[in-house]
Amino acid sequence: MKKIDRKDFLKIGGGAVVGGLAGYTLSGAPFLGFQWLVEWSQDQYVPAPGIEKYVQAVSDSCTNGCKVSVRMIGNRAVKIESKDGVCPACLNGLQLLYHPERISTPMKISGKKGSGNYQPVSWDQALKDISSKMNALVNEGKANTIAAVNKNESLNGQLMEKFVRNAGSNNVYYEPSLNSITSNALGGYVKYDFAKTDFILSFGAKLVEGWGNAVEMQKQFLNWKKNNVKIVQADSVCTRTGGIANEFVGINPGTEAVLAFGMANYLITAKRMTSSGDDFAKWSQLIINKYPLGKVAKLTGVAEDKIKKLADDFAAAKNPVAVAGKGAHGVSGSSAEIIAVYCLNTLVKSGAATLVKNSAVSYTAEFAGLDKFIKEGSFSMMFLNGSDPVYKSVYGEELKKKLEKAFVVAIAPLMNDSAVYADYILPPLSFLEAETPESKPAVKALKESKDAKEIIISLAAMVDKTKNALPKTSADAYKSAGRETAGGKFSFNFEKIKADIEAYEKKLGQNAEYPVTLVPYEAPLVGDGDGLAFPYVLKSIDPSVLNLGKFYVMMNKETGKKHGFSEGSSIKISSARGKLGKAYVHLSDVVAPETVAIPLGFGHESYTKYGNEKGLNPKKIMTADVDPLTGAADWWSTRVKIS
Amino acid sequence: MIVKDSAMKRKWGMAIDLDKCTGCGACSIACNQENNMPIFEDDSDVPKRVAFLELMKVTNDRDAKFPDVKTAFLPKMCQQCEGNAVGKHKADPPCVSVCPAVATDVGDDGVVSQIWSRCIGCRYCQTACPYEARVFNWWKPEYEGSFKNSLSTDVSVASRGTIVKCTFCSHIWKRERDKATANGILDINAVLYTPACASACPTGAIIFGDLNDPESEVSKLAKSDRAVRLVNTVDDETPEKQKALMSKKQYANPKVYYLTSQKWLRDMMRFKKNS
Ligand code: SF4
Ligand code: SF4
Ligand code: SF4
Repeated sequence: MKKIDRKDFLKIGGGAVVGGLAGYTLSGAPFLGFQWLVEWSQDQYVPAPGIEKYVQAVSDSCTNGCKVSVRMIGNRAVKIESKDGVCPACLNGLQLLYHPERISTPMKISGKKGSGNYQPVSWDQALKDISSKMNALVNEGKANTIAAVNKNESLNGQLMEKFVRNAGSNNVYYEPSLNSITSNALGGYVKYDFAKTDFILSFGAKLVEGWGNAVEMQKQFLNWKKNNVKIVQADSVCTRTGGIANEFVGINPGTEAVLAFGMANYLITAKRMTSSGDDFAKWSQLIINKYPLGKVAKLTGVAEDKIKKLADDFAAAKNPVAVAGKGAHGVSGSSAEIIAVYCLNTLVKSGAATLVKNSAVSYTAEFAGLDKFIKEGSFSMMFLNGSDPVYKSVYGEELKKKLEKAFVVAIAPLMNDSAVYADYILPPLSFLEAETPESKPAVKALKESKDAKEIIISLAAMVDKTKNALPKTSADAYKSAGRETAGGKFSFNFEKIKADIEAYEKKLGQNAEYPVTLVPYEAPLVGDGDGLAFPYVLKSIDPSVLNLGKFYVMMNKETGKKHGFSEGSSIKISSARGKLGKAYVHLSDVVAPETVAIPLGFGHESYTKYGNEKGLNPKKIMTADVDPLTGAADWWSTRVKIS
Repeated sequence: MIVKDSAMKRKWGMAIDLDKCTGCGACSIACNQENNMPIFEDDSDVPKRVAFLELMKVTNDRDAKFPDVKTAFLPKMCQQCEGNAVGKHKADPPCVSVCPAVATDVGDDGVVSQIWSRCIGCRYCQTACPYEARVFNWWKPEYEGSFKNSLSTDVSVASRGTIVKCTFCSHIWKRERDKATANGILDINAVLYTPACASACPTGAIIFGDLNDPESEVSKLAKSDRAVRLVNTVDDETPEKQKALMSKKQYANPKVYYLTSQKWLRDMMRFKKNS
């Protein structure tokens, strides 16, 4: 809708009356004025009535699978409820179900890739075309040029992994998530026993804002309050987790790892603690030589005594746990950081952090991770399973070019920045339309959309090599879902991360060309971008993030003064990788000095008219160094210049 | 069915524990859904936005410097003011007495009602409300295409040019009451309900109940040391002074209580400089 302010509005009102009168006298249409009055006074929409009832559904908004009640009026779902509260991602299920831009039939591209021009096709034609393309690649011995990017490790992600692997390709990736990157860095993802700990030392993990398993974390948060668990948050932006922490340790941006090096150094040298991880001797030697406390204090901005005190408190707790992992949704790939933080757990022999694996999910692919694959890999066929790597990866622009040349299949309920490069878009059900072993569909499926599991199963049945590889029905698929098993042995992987540990010093030092650091933060409901297609999310965005089309970044007050910015002034930000469009400054001391904090999740290009062209996507200019173990970019903090 | 004419003793109130609020935003989405909030293409346009619940981000950095900073969220809706009697003037919320059309009133359950269809759009109440809890439909409420399917039949869609606001989801109260009556429960005082925001909150930060019932959780919370009302200046005075002030002047006296042990947040909410 065109932006109209109140003054314009009054003009329009006046104009309409004048127009009405003019119409009355000149054109002989005497009722024009009434039409306007009717709109003011009578014309409100009346929702269709029906019988009220509640039905059950199982959410697939995250991998948690919460059971919720759906309030129905006739055959319409009008509300998602639960006696335990409902997280916002799940509540958005209703806005997805009835989204006016939902894709409701299989679609085939009918214009240039990226143009968004599609025409509906039958399921038969779509599946036949896709499977014959796949059969051909397999027969030509090019199976490994088939790739898949899963949004997450849900059951349909697991099926996609099985499907593509059985076709003969090793190129199955997941969008970087806490589990995927920690698995690759540590040999398993960390299972935290937050109910048993009395001291949580978080290196910028947004513990109560959606980090990890959001549902579980909300519960744990209440327990921590009850049991007086001490929470220490070290971060360069004081987000809500910083606000609830017993102690907020402000650090310079991008120095989480260095703080962990310093604490480890102190615990190893002064407290004679050791870790049983492989390569510990080499790792500790490097840390001790490279990161003495004085240097750590200088780099992090945390005084030497304070680092010692933190380490002492941590070591003295009964069952302390150190947590890495950054954002509520967005994650960054530094394995040097993840390993250093996990090392602290092994030094104090924390009983609240163990490594586990999912039996159906392997994060080992041809390349170490998605960003590396986008950067260096090639593919001739790509499945995008609910994922949007063009938007979410710092290599989005590079990926666009590769998608343009490949045969791309997207399973997506709404158009997004990646699906717009697909040859075929296949519409999955929302969870309110899906059947699970525990629930019947709450509402009838929209037109021709199908359960994502069934889409993958039917495709697999049509590809010769995968004909017998997958469960026959989605009901069977539930039986073969992955289980949690023990993780591998923790290793410091010294040879692989040695260079990265050394690089921190250089990265964080003075940089005349790019004097300040850009870090992201996540606004409620928007997260790292999925929320933005939903109008009720837009309605909840704080005006300090987006207001009247203006997109704001946060800057420390002193820093603002020093660089000549005041509240509301416009700002241009550029890094070695490029420039961002115009943003505006919101001065706030929740941000560390010499730091600019930019909201994540904005600046979509093709994510419905609600999500499009609102704000900027900082990943376009964020650092793109790919981590050797996680294969994901370590983009969280980036040196920039501002003008 | 005739409902037994029992004395209505309800005084619905709310206690919102800001120390438990993670700022997840579930309350806001639930409120929008429950109350058929209009959907405009750019609802980030705050002045034009129609919503009952605003999830406000609050920080102490007016007075504090990094790293001695704090961040919290405060879900703000209609504070369901009670007002106070001054001389011959009866106790009224600030917004009610100014309405020339009796579109807003206080029910015998304490809820400050708002009847969209009766509102003539003069916006006096919006000016009178100290909490910016009332919103005006400058545009006709729209629901693009299939979004209409998610509209509830319990809340009527407002027309353009009317004021709307949070009613403590009193349609749910009516629904529960009707259900109870249908089941033969005629004592209305036995019926409880939970507004949409309170039932959506994953951490149980929003507690709803009867402030007239001294045993209710909300009554106890409202009396706790952690309770603070939003910018209700008279609360800072001694009980005697309060009485004296309230006999001369009207205060909002909200029935929404916020709970926090964070001094900075209490100070911010009471308009005091952080110490
Ligand atoms: S908050 Fe505003 S709208 Fe609500 S009762 Fe008080 S004065 Fe009226
Ligand atoms: S009580 Fe109901 S109307 Fe009021 S804020 Fe909560 S959900 Fe919205
Ligand atoms: S739902 Fe609860 S925790 Fe979430 S923002 Fe609202 S009050 Fe806070």
